[in-house]
Amino acid sequence: MENVKISARQLAILVILFSVGTTILVIPGSLASVVKQDAWMAAIFGTVSSFLVVALYIAIGRIFPAMTLAEILESVLGKWLGKFISLSFVFFAFFDASDLIYYAGNFLTTQILLYTPIEAIHIILACILLMGVRLGLETVARAAELFFPVFIFLFVLLVGSVLLTSDLWKLQNLEPILFTGIKPMIRAVFIFLSSFSFPLIVILMIFPSSVKQPKKAEKSLFIAISTAGVCLTILIILTILVLGPETSARQMYPSYNLAQSIKIGDFLQRIEAILAIMWLITIFFKMVIYFYAAIISFGQTLNIRDYRPFTFPFGMLVVVLSLYSHPNVTHSAKFDYEIWPVYSLIYGLALPLLLLLIYGLKKYIKHEKKRKLPLE
Amino acid sequence: MLGIAVTLVAAIIITAFEVPKMRKKKLTKELWTFLILMGMAVGLGIAESLHLNIPNPLNGIRMVLQPMSDVINGLLK
Repeated sequence: MENVKISARQLAILVILFSVGTTILVIPGSLASVVKQDAWMAAIFGTVSSFLVVALYIAIGRIFPAMTLAEILESVLGKWLGKFISLSFVFFAFFDASDLIYYAGNFLTTQILLYTPIEAIHIILACILLMGVRLGLETVARAAELFFPVFIFLFVLLVGSVLLTSDLWKLQNLEPILFTGIKPMIRAVFIFLSSFSFPLIVILMIFPSSVKQPKKAEKSLFIAISTAGVCLTILIILTILVLGPETSARQMYPSYNLAQSIKIGDFLQRIEAILAIMWLITIFFKMVIYFYAAIISFGQTLNIRDYRPFTFPFGMLVVVLSLYSHPNVTHSAKFDYEIWPVYSLIYGLALPLLLLLIYGLKKYIKHEKKRKLPLE
Repeated sequence: MLGIAVTLVAAIIITAFEVPKMRKKKLTKELWTFLILMGMAVGLGIAESLHLNIPNPLNGIRMVLQPMSDVINGLLK
């Protein structure tokens, strides 16, 4: 493995783009369908509980400061079980990358490029994805630094133009507050976590082993998570203010519809392109990180030093998988609603907890043995 | 038809691009892994363009995780 190092700030930016990723377009709808007008509170609770998840990842990073997740799995769980689980993790990350291509292709063909065949879009997306991954993590991180101001600028423009058009939003849409009860709220927070913070497990392939200042990076992880959380919360509040809970729940891309409804005077219209650009920026980086994590852990599981020869075959596989994994939108929506939260819970929470537990037990047993030895 | 052609052309270009480099460096293990992956990609790509019924890995995941999902959804109803 060659020595790629990114700075703490680059990591933070990558994490912000990664966490905003798909969440920005899809989550307002699925939260609103569970907790209606309280969706924004679910986002706040979700962001706060993400701190715990991130703290868990940081704890693992501290124990194994020079290892990636694939290596940690092998050293804690033993050779064969470790390899097996890290291959299943490869599939998890790989499937996520293909799912994101599917999302982007689906969004583009249904909302913007109506007459383009979806295969063409998937192939083009996969091409930029492969380009990014082949150029390496450092290049991707620098590109993220370049795109981040664009993202922030577009976000501010979007929020500003919604707030300026005061006849667009109604405060009554947020009422009544906390009406939905505790169980739907927990469920909504769970859905939020499953697409916002559990996927961050793939960051353990980068942090802490490929970061220059791991100590500083820990702090910037928290900053990144809270920034992303604030962005999403603002966007969800706006969606509900403008569209109301019912419409938000019914739409597939509520935040896109939100942007479509903006019209300032007769000169500022069709802001939805802004949202599309923002979303394509974030989804690109999310895709790259997933794909990079998949391919690096694949290489490390098979003890292969250079991952680059595998990018192209993996790229072809990702296109094929993205084309046939979801036969239609209903299948995708049902999968996201029923299976995805559990799937990401297993890798994002259960796996790291299990790792910590086994590591602790092993250490304890070793300690006990050492203590008994001198007596005998 | 177009799908098959694109898959094959892409596979040939990629193989011609990557394999000589690996052979020069005598990376046998890498070469085999590459060829297996490439075979999978070509097979799946052709099967997909012929609209054959490829087993979907998501159905496997769904089968394993559905009970857990039902339990969680039942608890939070």
